[in-house]
Amino acid sequence: MSAIRARFNSAAGFLDLAKRAWKKSARFRAGTLLVGIMVSIAVLGPHLAPYPLDGWGVVPRNAAERAGKPPCPEFPFGTDSLGRDVLSRVLVGARLALVQIALVVSVSLALGLLVGACAAYYKGPVEALLNYVSEIFLALPAMVIALALRLALGQGLHVVVVSLILSWWPWYARSSYVYARAVVEMEYVLLARLAGVPGRTVLFRHVLANVLPPVLVQAITDLGSVLLEASAINFLGLGLPPDAPDWGIIVQNGFRYIVSMPWISMFPGVFILATALGFSLVGDSLREEMDPKMRRRWKLWF
Amino acid sequence: MPLSLNYLLKRLLWSAAVLVGVAVFSYVVIILSPGDPAAKWAGNPRGPGAAKAVEEARKELGLDLPLHLQVLNFLRMVFTGNLGYSIAYRQPVFAVLARNLAATLELLFAAYLIGVPLGSLLGVAASLRRGGSVDGFLQTLGLALASTPSFWLGMAVFSALFSAGFSAYGRVSTGLALATGFQAITGFYLLDSLLQLNIPVFVDALARLLPPALAVAAYPTGLCLRLSRALVADALLEEYVRAAVAWGVKRRVVVWKYAFRAALPGLVQVAGTAFAYSLIDAMVVEYVFGREGLGRLLFDAIAFSDFKLAIGLLVLVAAFYLAVNTLADVAQALVDPRVKL
Repeated sequence: MSAIRARFNSAAGFLDLAKRAWKKSARFRAGTLLVGIMVSIAVLGPHLAPYPLDGWGVVPRNAAERAGKPPCPEFPFGTDSLGRDVLSRVLVGARLALVQIALVVSVSLALGLLVGACAAYYKGPVEALLNYVSEIFLALPAMVIALALRLALGQGLHVVVVSLILSWWPWYARSSYVYARAVVEMEYVLLARLAGVPGRTVLFRHVLANVLPPVLVQAITDLGSVLLEASAINFLGLGLPPDAPDWGIIVQNGFRYIVSMPWISMFPGVFILATALGFSLVGDSLREEMDPKMRRRWKLWF
Repeated sequence: MPLSLNYLLKRLLWSAAVLVGVAVFSYVVIILSPGDPAAKWAGNPRGPGAAKAVEEARKELGLDLPLHLQVLNFLRMVFTGNLGYSIAYRQPVFAVLARNLAATLELLFAAYLIGVPLGSLLGVAASLRRGGSVDGFLQTLGLALASTPSFWLGMAVFSALFSAGFSAYGRVSTGLALATGFQAITGFYLLDSLLQLNIPVFVDALARLLPPALAVAAYPTGLCLRLSRALVADALLEEYVRAAVAWGVKRRVVVWKYAFRAALPGLVQVAGTAFAYSLIDAMVVEYVFGREGLGRLLFDAIAFSDFKLAIGLLVLVAAFYLAVNTLADVAQALVDPRVKL
């Protein structure tokens, strides 16, 4: 991990890194393609869906005659037990999936960066307190926090998002703390402080700016892991209500019919897998590109 | 022994402090919820005596005390191992948790016994073909395995086996267990059946354990594959490997005794942390396969609004995480001569 150096300090630098990865790595191109497809489905989903109302979870009027159809030209992914078109459900669901993971990762990233950098910069009791609090939430997986929130607040998007944020921010706090501890010892930080730059400015302009790049790349990989956890929480019925257009919920819709109508659960699962894999491929190859040690590609010599 | 009493004491105190934080968090979130826990405890009564019943429930639960006294009371209970009484099971929460933890751990151990060796083996194979197409394929396979939703994989395995004529539902066939007089002693059915020399139950329990274990094993397999690929590939470029090759040491010995040995501490550390988090995967997959275990408690806690069971589950999961991480650090110190605790 220590071999990872900040190799970009701006949006332009990040684009440069992505360009290099694009040229070199087929896995980066594959990942970008997968993510690109998912983002376009998320944007266009409700317009692409052949039966948008089915997609939002409305049970059609002729439910009885449409229920449980296997994949056919009219319903490419089949229909579920209530006669809703699975393709429409999955296409409409992409938006909710991306909204959940984007919310979770961006909020926990901001929170974690701030906590980690503050702990490393202010030291002393602040450091001890912040490390203690992050250790508490490291010990609690999102699923059990979701259980507590589900009992306290009932079902809803807030349960999934808040429980995932509470369990993810300490990871960013921990890794940015590790990077920031090295950064605060740098001479430019010392010089800035000697020159009388106020502490908050040093923290944001010098410490955070240099901690951000490696943590950001980690966050891209995490988008996939967050999707897996969010789907599991929704699958168990701890998060979104049972008709919401969410992939985990659609898998749950098919749970009782896994033997008689396997297509209901199969397709949303494939979409979860593809999205998570896409983000992992992109994040993984970016990290490889940033880390000079991992970039060595020569073959074994014996 | 690279382990000091001082370290263990410090670690124990730190874990206790974190557990206090977890207990306070879970108590405050669940008790301060908008729905009144006392009303739920009394069974949401209606009619003339309702107010009185809720008031009595409040007193019984200690909810009429100021918040800080409630929290202190609760902490005292946690550290004496008394987590209260579960509404769903009409039993002490501690007993319910202990019984179901064994079931979940059995699944988790099976999954890691499959996943970690398999992943490490594939990782070493990939690192020996560094840069080739086999390496690329194996690395992508590792990512895909780690990106597969475990509940979905579990459903796929279950339905595939079901259409092949085998139902992997539950932990053991009830009829078989009754017919052979099988009794649970430790809660680990494989161990129990061996202790009682009950071979039919052992075979049945194993056959029902393996399919869910495969679904849980996907994540550790992918993780260990990627990690051992990276660590072994790095180690193979080190000077001491070069020297060993120059001395004419056999390739198999170089790879396993020199390169893989160097990757072992990192592997142990990461697999340890992953083990703690896979408890959640095991809980979800248990639900899919209809097995008893902590996963079922999650549902019972919601269905019965059993908030004592829920708090107990939160504390247990956190304690499990802390214990496993301590063990992982100790194990790392045992395999890495550079680490002293």
